[in-house]
Amino acid sequence: MTMIAKTARGTRTVLEDPTLPVRARRAVQDTNTVLWRDTIRTLRQPDMLAFAVVMGVFFLVLFNYVFGGSIGAGAGIDYLAFLVPGVLVITALQGAQQTSMGLAADLTEGVTDRFRSLPMSQVAVIAGRTLADAARNVAGLLLVAIVSIVMGYRFASLPGALGAIAVATAIGFGFSWLGAAIAAKVRQPDMVGMLSMFWLFPLMLASTAFAPAETMPGWLQPFVIYQPISAASDAVRALANGTAGGADLLLSLGWTILLVAVFAPISIRLYRKGTP
Amino acid sequence: MIVARNLSKSYGSVEAVSELSFSVDAGRIVGLLGPNGAGKTTTISMLTTLTTIDRGSASIGGYDVAARADQVRQLIGLAGQSAAVDEKLTARENLHLFGRLYKIPRAERVRRVDELVDRFDMAEFADRVVSTYSGGQRRRLDVVAALIADPPALFLDEPTTGLDPRSRAELWEAIAQLAASGTAIVLTTQYLEEADRLADEILIIDRGAVIASGSPDSLKRGLDRDVLEVHVGDGDLAFALDLIGRVTGVVTDPETHRIGIPVGDDVNEGLDVLRRLQDGGVAISDFQLRRPTLDDVFLNLTGSPAASEEVSP
Repeated sequence: MTMIAKTARGTRTVLEDPTLPVRARRAVQDTNTVLWRDTIRTLRQPDMLAFAVVMGVFFLVLFNYVFGGSIGAGAGIDYLAFLVPGVLVITALQGAQQTSMGLAADLTEGVTDRFRSLPMSQVAVIAGRTLADAARNVAGLLLVAIVSIVMGYRFASLPGALGAIAVATAIGFGFSWLGAAIAAKVRQPDMVGMLSMFWLFPLMLASTAFAPAETMPGWLQPFVIYQPISAASDAVRALANGTAGGADLLLSLGWTILLVAVFAPISIRLYRKGTP
Repeated sequence: MIVARNLSKSYGSVEAVSELSFSVDAGRIVGLLGPNGAGKTTTISMLTTLTTIDRGSASIGGYDVAARADQVRQLIGLAGQSAAVDEKLTARENLHLFGRLYKIPRAERVRRVDELVDRFDMAEFADRVVSTYSGGQRRRLDVVAALIADPPALFLDEPTTGLDPRSRAELWEAIAQLAASGTAIVLTTQYLEEADRLADEILIIDRGAVIASGSPDSLKRGLDRDVLEVHVGDGDLAFALDLIGRVTGVVTDPETHRIGIPVGDDVNEGLDVLRRLQDGGVAISDFQLRRPTLDDVFLNLTGSPAASEEVSP
């Protein structure tokens, strides 16, 4: 429903009480606009992408050549085939951490105040950012995958490789919303960077990203097996290596949906609260 | 168009804005004048839905700011301290970004962006990334970004702070034009000259409260005493002040050795001051009797010159 407001410069149409479909369409439209803006920023400043790729390659090289012998031999597996899917997931998580720091930096800039004074969907500022980061993650994951092929890794099939990248991107997207919630709450980029370590490192190291669960202490194993990074690593591994892993895939997608369902409303509410 | 009633906001025990009331009709400019920390930006933030209103209320175009934020946002434009532009985008991209968020159809948006770039003389830098801009270019984009949707209510938070005199004059011209075409404008400033030049009505704010209001002329008239400005020799300043004695509202500028003394309509009052200075042996290099400026008004009201007090908001 619209109303015509009379102003000295003629009439102006004011959207009165937008219905739910209208609001939803506006949210999609605005998210698309913010995605456009964040994509321009990413392309103009590719250091975030470069950092994520360098970290991924760093993990590949470090774990394969330094720890690969002991972990691989201990578990009796081809360690590179085990490691690559894990590194793909960790690379996607770097992207999530970057959502956190990028959004926090954004929130301290004046442009966010302008966004908040505009007749736009307030969901869009965060949704556009998480989607732009997901797009950047796809680029980063492709580059890391290419490096892994150079190092001698072979994906089981092309669909398997694409599926692996899709699952890694999805879990990264889920964690992006956690990152967004932290950023919307804390709003200080350096503080947000430190807080990210608190969830990223324990989840990353106590997972099946780098080593099989069997190599870890028994009391820790239930956590290691079911936590989201392990679920995603196992699902990506099944797709990339062409092994069975339906349950892992379901668990990984379940975690992704849960992360978005919990942290999207929280981060949007925290963002809306804005300055006191 | 813009109405504020008893607007109040506290941060902890500090009352940032207290019982502020004013209204701005279409085509009018209201100036909020005060030093840093007076509560100007907080007022703008409340009126533009960025900050919640503690007490009192405000409306834009008849829509309550607190209850109908979404409608209010369709009618306002915001520029200056409390809003900015994207550093990594060009001016054109910024204008398109905000235009898209205002849902201006593409064809119209392209036309509007070109028109604004042209009108505000931005063609030379419009396709460069904002982070490479000079302070003046940035400020200009800031204000222009608020105009993309041609808003009937415009909020300019210290729009000319940090501008060189030429850019400032250009922006004044543009602001006056916007008002002439029917935009209701709230302008905050630390510059008395700016408020004097642009505003139809001025609210002088100190520590969150209005301490005087009216048209620039009536404010100056309220101070119905002329000012005798005496230029004394180097080193004579303290001695001269001693001789003048206890007259309220004496202003001194140590750098130029000028003393401003409020005097009544009676010529003898001024002559008396001059005679005392001369008898005391103070070297007077120049003197003049002039009408009070807004600077004098501000000083008289607050006891401190405008824009010299540094209080964090």
